[in-house]
Amino acid sequence: MNLWARLQELRRYPSALVGLAAVGLLILMSVYAVVRYPYSEAIRLWRAGELTWLEYPRNAAPRWFNWFGADLPETISVTHERAKALHAEDLGGGVRRRTLSFSCDFLNGGGFPKELALFYEATFTRTPPQAVLTWRTPDGREIPIGTQVLRGGGRYIISADAALVKRLGGRPPHEALFAHPAEPGKPLRGRYELLVDLFTFEPQSEAQLKLIVYGQVHGWAGTDNLRRDLSIALLWGAPIAMVFGMSAALILTLWYLFISAVATWYGGWVDALVDRLTELRMILPLLPILIMVGMFWSRSLWIMLAVLILYGVIGGSKNYRAMYLQTRSLPYVEAARAYGAGNFRIIVRYLVPRFLPLTIPAFINAIPGYVFLEASLAVLGLGDPVLPTWGKVIQEASGFLYMGSSYYYWILLPAALLFLTGVGFAMVGIALDRIFNPRLRAI
Amino acid sequence: MLENLRRLGTYAGVRGLLLFFTVIVAVWLIILIANMGGAMDKIIESQIREQVGAMMQNPDLQQLPEGERKKIYDQHVEVLRIQYGLDRPFIERAFRYLWNGITLNLGYAERIHSDTGSRQVRLILVERLPYTLLLWGTAQFLLFSTSVFIALILSRRYGSFVDRLVVMLAPTSAPPAWFYGIILILIFASLLKVLPYGGFIDPLAPPTFLGRALSVLKHMVLPVSSVIVGGIFATIYSWRTFFLIYSSEDYVELARAKGLSSRSIERRYILRPTLPPIVTSFAMMLIAVWMGGVITETVFSWPGLGRMLYNAIAQNDTPVIVGANVIYGYLLAMSVFVLDILYAALDPRVRIGAVGGQRL
Amino acid sequence: MAKQTKSAVNLVNFGRSESATLLRVEDLKLYFRTTKGVVQAVDGVSFELGRRRSATVLGESGCGKTTLARAILRLLPRNVHTFSGKIVLDGVDLMPMNDEWFRKEIRWRKISFVPQAAMNALNPVLRVGHQIAEPLVVHHGVSQDAAFKRAVEAAKLVGLPEDFLSRYAFELSGGMRQRAIIAMALLTNPELIILDEPTSALDVLTQANIMNTLKKIKREFEMSYILITHDIATSSELADEVIVMYAGHIVEHSPAARFFKAPLHPYAQKLMASVPTLREDKELEFIPGQPPSLLNPPKGCRFAPRCPKRFERCAEEPPLFSLDGVSVVKCWLFAR
Repeated sequence: MNLWARLQELRRYPSALVGLAAVGLLILMSVYAVVRYPYSEAIRLWRAGELTWLEYPRNAAPRWFNWFGADLPETISVTHERAKALHAEDLGGGVRRRTLSFSCDFLNGGGFPKELALFYEATFTRTPPQAVLTWRTPDGREIPIGTQVLRGGGRYIISADAALVKRLGGRPPHEALFAHPAEPGKPLRGRYELLVDLFTFEPQSEAQLKLIVYGQVHGWAGTDNLRRDLSIALLWGAPIAMVFGMSAALILTLWYLFISAVATWYGGWVDALVDRLTELRMILPLLPILIMVGMFWSRSLWIMLAVLILYGVIGGSKNYRAMYLQTRSLPYVEAARAYGAGNFRIIVRYLVPRFLPLTIPAFINAIPGYVFLEASLAVLGLGDPVLPTWGKVIQEASGFLYMGSSYYYWILLPAALLFLTGVGFAMVGIALDRIFNPRLRAI
Repeated sequence: MLENLRRLGTYAGVRGLLLFFTVIVAVWLIILIANMGGAMDKIIESQIREQVGAMMQNPDLQQLPEGERKKIYDQHVEVLRIQYGLDRPFIERAFRYLWNGITLNLGYAERIHSDTGSRQVRLILVERLPYTLLLWGTAQFLLFSTSVFIALILSRRYGSFVDRLVVMLAPTSAPPAWFYGIILILIFASLLKVLPYGGFIDPLAPPTFLGRALSVLKHMVLPVSSVIVGGIFATIYSWRTFFLIYSSEDYVELARAKGLSSRSIERRYILRPTLPPIVTSFAMMLIAVWMGGVITETVFSWPGLGRMLYNAIAQNDTPVIVGANVIYGYLLAMSVFVLDILYAALDPRVRIGAVGGQRL
Repeated sequence: MAKQTKSAVNLVNFGRSESATLLRVEDLKLYFRTTKGVVQAVDGVSFELGRRRSATVLGESGCGKTTLARAILRLLPRNVHTFSGKIVLDGVDLMPMNDEWFRKEIRWRKISFVPQAAMNALNPVLRVGHQIAEPLVVHHGVSQDAAFKRAVEAAKLVGLPEDFLSRYAFELSGGMRQRAIIAMALLTNPELIILDEPTSALDVLTQANIMNTLKKIKREFEMSYILITHDIATSSELADEVIVMYAGHIVEHSPAARFFKAPLHPYAQKLMASVPTLREDKELEFIPGQPPSLLNPPKGCRFAPRCPKRFERCAEEPPLFSLDGVSVVKCWLFAR
């Protein structure tokens, strides 16, 4: 069929090509998302409490901020294996002392670390190990941090230690420990060391330590207030939006095609019934109903999709009706009736194929609406409880918007992706309309 | 002329009746969906609680010991339960709910109050209407009128730079108004700090009418702008396309041949016949607007119907949520009705065809 | 219908009762720009039409006759490539005049137009009567009521009942709509009416009716017609002169009496031979082949590829040869 030839005409419209590029990008994102983080994995990661994300910085900005000269630090993680053993002593009676050096090179001049923490895992029977901590700066100053009792597993948040804050003169440790002595507002660049004097009191007692210097930037999308890497949500938002939008659009477009053909062909009471049903759909408020579903039933995305489709199949679409009315008296249709073709056959073989090309722009143009509908529900707080979607991210971010904080990227990144999706499909859709809609071709 | 009005009146009457039946079905469906989650029963129960609570305010009863009071309370509740038919089979309750819904007897809210302190859902919601109408009416009017004006100009200049610009920018109307609302807030309220984040009026505004009016206007700038920005290019594009299509009609060419001025042709031969389908697409847009309004009003904290619905979600206030659905249903039905009448007034084919004309 | 006196505002001195020639078209060219190239729809057409004379323009679809009508009325689409030549009406060349002047002075004052297939030619949302009366209101400043009264008279003339005027276009049948449009064309008493296939969309009976109406009007008023059609039968009733067009050129222009008896140009002869007649028993002929594409017209006589009488000279485009001072033929056969 010359369908392919018609589609080639898209090349004439630069906006359509831009739109296709956007859609292509989204498809690539979706494929990558599903491959990199399979469905159950993505849900697990996104729902996980802080424990999964403990080693990520909170509200970190995207890494590419540094391309614009920000020079913000990334998270540095020094594991036990990378620590240098400086000294080991056996003090008798099962007591051992080991001195370990956890060193890290802090080279960013644009900002201090966000947090400073020491994670530990200790095994013991009765007496927990202890660690005496000293901080050594690149210029040789040694600042005592304190002694920590390593009871089992946990973390010592150095930057939240109130006593340490007081000792350091009221400044939070993650800044004070890194401050340049001459210019206290800027960090001193160089090699820092956390010297750990680890005392174990039992022969079998052991401790594993990890120093985390939390950065201010992370990944290509930053992190949220629960320390989650936003790139997961931003990536997964793509396949969810596409599946939701495209399946709703496809099913309903095909339905309207079919029902309009049936209604105008049979005419009479069938047509009147479809008319009344269409009217019914027009006055049923979709979003409030979906809100009711979300509040009283379930917020699952798939339930919402199902309700949306059920809503959509009530009645037909006004647009198709006028066009079908003209076809009733077409010569070849009348000829088909004359040779005794059954109603169904005429509908399926003559009417529907005639309007199939028109459904292509209709399908594409319907997608953005549904994508934003899903986002709307999420922004209202009725989004799917487990799936990471763009609307969800915006909703979570907007809670912090009014506090005057500057986490703009948190809102703007998902917003940009939503915009890309909506506008991308719309660009292709408008161009397709100009190609397939006979009335528009005449202009 | 009188004949015209009579015909229109008949048409309006017929449409109104048909629409009313559709409303009944719509309300019934809303109630059905609501009650799938047991919401309807919850509403009645809250209504009972409200009423019994009011009854228990009686000072005589207040003096009785705790146990006694509880017994009387339970008794009253039981009486009312029977009275409201909560012990009846579902089908009977469904009819009662339907009747309540249609007559807008929407029960009492669980937590929300109206501005006057009442807990009547109907009052709560209806109070919000003027705010919503003010915002959306203004926004739609501005969007509509500027789009028609510009589109008419563009249809004369097919292929010009502005024309092609509009066509290129038409897809920017894919995101809904609230999306642009968030962006505008980020720019003008958060970054530039020249316009308010939201709300209806500045509590510190001067108490004069002018002072208050100006404050309201200031608060309307961003929400109205987000509606306009979010819709203008596609609206202009669609009108201009309509005009272009309709200006290639045969009767337009004959009008040109007749030597009518271009202004006259635009008015009577392009604009007038295009109005009916424009009204239809406007109806579609209006419906989408009512829906999207929920979030836009929320984003801007505009105290309208949409925001109230959001509040009800946040506070888990079932009667208000269900009541809002019913009110929205009625609002949509009224919009459809008004637009149908408008269509009939503009397109004689509908008026005359409906009452049965013949070809002469 | 009483004769309308011309309004006093007449910027250009039209020499009405002076010369016998109403319309003179000289080397009119109208080319269109399309995605496939430039279509030379009307390619150097010249003819004259006398006062109160009516001509019919015959030709197949795509020969340029409709475009010619539109060119005279300046109803041009957006993609015009070339529009040149002279159109002299009552001694005044219309081509250099600006659009606004043309609209006010010529359209529906001097020249009216009855379009093809009146199905969609009437505004669906205005009443028929108002549309008929419109030109009077616009061009002659007549009041709405007076104009409506005149419209009623015109309607009666064309056989349109008065109460139809207060109806809408969709309530009228095709024949009635066409009558309404003819009434509309008459109303301002123009000197020239151009009719483009006025009856091709109608059934035979209605066709006959409309033709009779046109004949009656031709008798009673001092108007010229240009009737564009591909239907030879109907044109023979109304026309004083016959113009035959082929591939954007005029190939013959003869008085009707002579033409219908003995057409000169081979194409015209073929045309006449393909029309069935009631009284004779003749073998119908048809013309093999297709008219040439106007995108890139061939050099030489455009009918030559299909002409049974072609010879070597036909490779060069023939000029219009005058015959007996009454006929004009574009064919080498008539070279002196």
